[in-house]
Parts: sequence; C-alpha cells; structure tokens
Amino acid sequence: MTATATYEIVDRYKEPGDCSALLYAPLDLTLTYRATRRYTVAWTGGEQVAVDAFMRATLLDGVSQEMHIGEDAALSGYLFALDYGMKPGALDLEKEAVLAYYRGLAEEPGFHLEQFTLRHRIYIFGDAAAQPERFVRDICNPAIHTWNVIHA
Amino acid sequence: MEERPNALLLKFPGTNCDGETARALETVGFAPRVVPISTATPDDLDGVSLVVLSGGFSYGDYVMAGRLAQLVTRQKLGDALRRFRDRGGYLLGICNGFQILTKLDLLPHTSLVDTISGRFQCTWVKLAKHGDRSPYLKLLPEEFELPIANAEGRLVTETSEQAKALVEQEFAALTYVDNVNGSFEAIAALQDETGRVLGLMPHPERFLYRRHHYDPDWNGDAEWGWGYYFFRSVYEAIVNEPALAGAEA
Repeated sequence: MTATATYEIVDRYKEPGDCSALLYAPLDLTLTYRATRRYTVAWTGGEQVAVDAFMRATLLDGVSQEMHIGEDAALSGYLFALDYGMKPGALDLEKEAVLAYYRGLAEEPGFHLEQFTLRHRIYIFGDAAAQPERFVRDICNPAIHTWNVIHA
Repeated sequence: MEERPNALLLKFPGTNCDGETARALETVGFAPRVVPISTATPDDLDGVSLVVLSGGFSYGDYVMAGRLAQLVTRQKLGDALRRFRDRGGYLLGICNGFQILTKLDLLPHTSLVDTISGRFQCTWVKLAKHGDRSPYLKLLPEEFELPIANAEGRLVTETSEQAKALVEQEFAALTYVDNVNGSFEAIAALQDETGRVLGLMPHPERFLYRRHHYDPDWNGDAEWGWGYYFFRSVYEAIVNEPALAGAEA
C-alpha cells in the first residue's frame, strides 16, 4: 500500500524579502515574503521513519534549515501563499537530481520511492489588501508550471 | 628534474573553476589532474598530496549549494577523503568546494547560505589572516585582497557563540575586513584543527598574476597576485614534508 508524506524546508537565516523583488513592477503595498520548498513523497515497503531519515539526510541542512513534516503550512501569519512547480512531464532538474541520487544508492534506504514531487511555496505577509493575481501572473509560467493559492 | 607533488581536482557537473585552479596549481609546482566524480574511486587518492574541490555550481546548486555534490562524493568515495586527511593529506575547497567541505564534516559544523542582500555578489574583498597555523597562508601578508563570486557565501553557525568560538580557537583562518555578505563573525575561510583542510569563499585562482588585479597600478608584487602566494604556500608546506608529498593509501 502506498503512503505519502509532505516535507517543507524552511531557511532559518533568510530574512523576509520585499515582495516587489518578485514582481515586474513595484507594489504600492507594504508586503514581504518568505520562500520554502515542499516535497511530497509517496512510498511503499517501509515505515515513515525511514523516509523521514532519508529526507533529513538528503534535503535538510541541519545548521541553517528546519524541516516541517505534514500537510499544514510551516509558517503562520501569512495573507496567502503561492505553491508552484513544474507540470507533470516537464523536466524538473532539481527533482531529477534528487531521484538520480536515490537510484544510485547501493541499498534501498528502508522504503521504495514511488513518487517524488517538488513545489516552491511563497508566503506573503503584510497589507491585507494584497491580492494573489499579480503574484501568479509574474511568478508562474503557464507553459511549464502548475500552481495553487493557499489562503490563510 | 624536480618532482612535482600530485594534486587531484574533483570535478562535479557544474564545476567551472577547475581549469583555472589546475593552471594555478601547475604554475606553483604541482602536477594537477582533474577527475570527474562519476569516474572517481578511492584509488585516485593514492600518491596525491592535495585534493581540491574547486568553484562552480555543482548540480546546479539544486537543493542548496554543495548538497548533492556532498551526497555523491560520499556515494563514490565513502570515507576516503577523511582517511586521506588522517594520513597527512591536504584538502582545499574553494567557493562551491568550501560549501561541499562543510557538508562532508571535514570542517567545523557550519553552513553557507544566501548572502544577506539576497543577491549574487561578484566583487573584490579585503581579507585579514587569523593565527599562523594555516599552511595555505604562510606567504601572504596580514591583509590582502581576493575576488569573491557567490550567492550562498554567508557563513552561519547554529548559534552566534559557536561562530565566536571558531574565531577564538583559530578555526577561522580568514575574515572579511568589511563583512560584505553578513557572515557570522565575518568569517571568510575555515580550517580544521590540523590546518591542512581549508575552505574559503574567495577565489585565489582568479588572482594568480599581477595583471588580474582590477587596479592596473596595483603594486603589491612585480609579477604575481596574492593567489600565487596562496598556492605557493601550500606547495612549500608539502615539499618541505617529504613524507606527505607522496601519501599512499
């Protein structure tokens, strides 16, 4: 039976950025953002503890990052968040690099990886008048990305 | 004819400073050899005095700079680099190589993250030496300049006290005179307790000749840049310790 889990990596030392840096034109609202990476893993033939260990060893920098395990958001207090990633079938080089490492392991790490998905998440903080449409338009490329907006 | 100590440069997909680093090593007296990590084996370290992880963007800096290179290095070489260090070998990581070394646990527990500006920084920096145990810095003055070019060059530790301890205990071999990227305690280079393992964010191979300096009137040396003296320092350390110059497995 296939099980799934979601892992979100948060940088401890990255200061919130000015949202204008994400957009083609400056905003007239005061907004900041924080970016995280979310990995969803589907696996068979093992316990979640083995998947957790693999994800920590592979994707987490213990000095500068924290890993949040679960579907819920790693950060709070945001207005909305934009999740985006490569369309199924589009080449995702980061995902492929991680999968190549997994396939090169001499032994399976206590589970069999069935599916691995990478999404980037951008949390928006600040003025409640902000709307996600501009962020979607300027950050996501409909030719290669899929996305969804998460409201707090 | 003078026998040249062997230097091995490990090349990852995305490493792009191996050519100029090999040139610098050859100029000061090494016999450099570039080996792709895909074909590397522990046997490649036999007879080698210096292993260099040079700069670049290994594996596209995916996940974070140096992470995948660290994982693949462990996959391919296991514990061979640690054993190489333990038998007296020298290990140098420049820029992306420094990021990889910190993750291989061959240097004090630190990480290199995005610069405080959030931008890629390509500039010259003034550096200050700390202590006198680094064999890579013997021929250099107390302060000197080198170029940097990185996005993830801000050195951090889990606590600020740990960074202070790195300076006090002389694990910090170099600091930035002006802390351009927000590194804790302005640390630009780290060494291990032996001094033979060094990682630094600046690029000594890019200041090999005097003409590489941005100021055409720079008069620090008639022919060479500070990068020459960096590599020459470790060359002299190795040839003056003949037992190490041909370290066998």
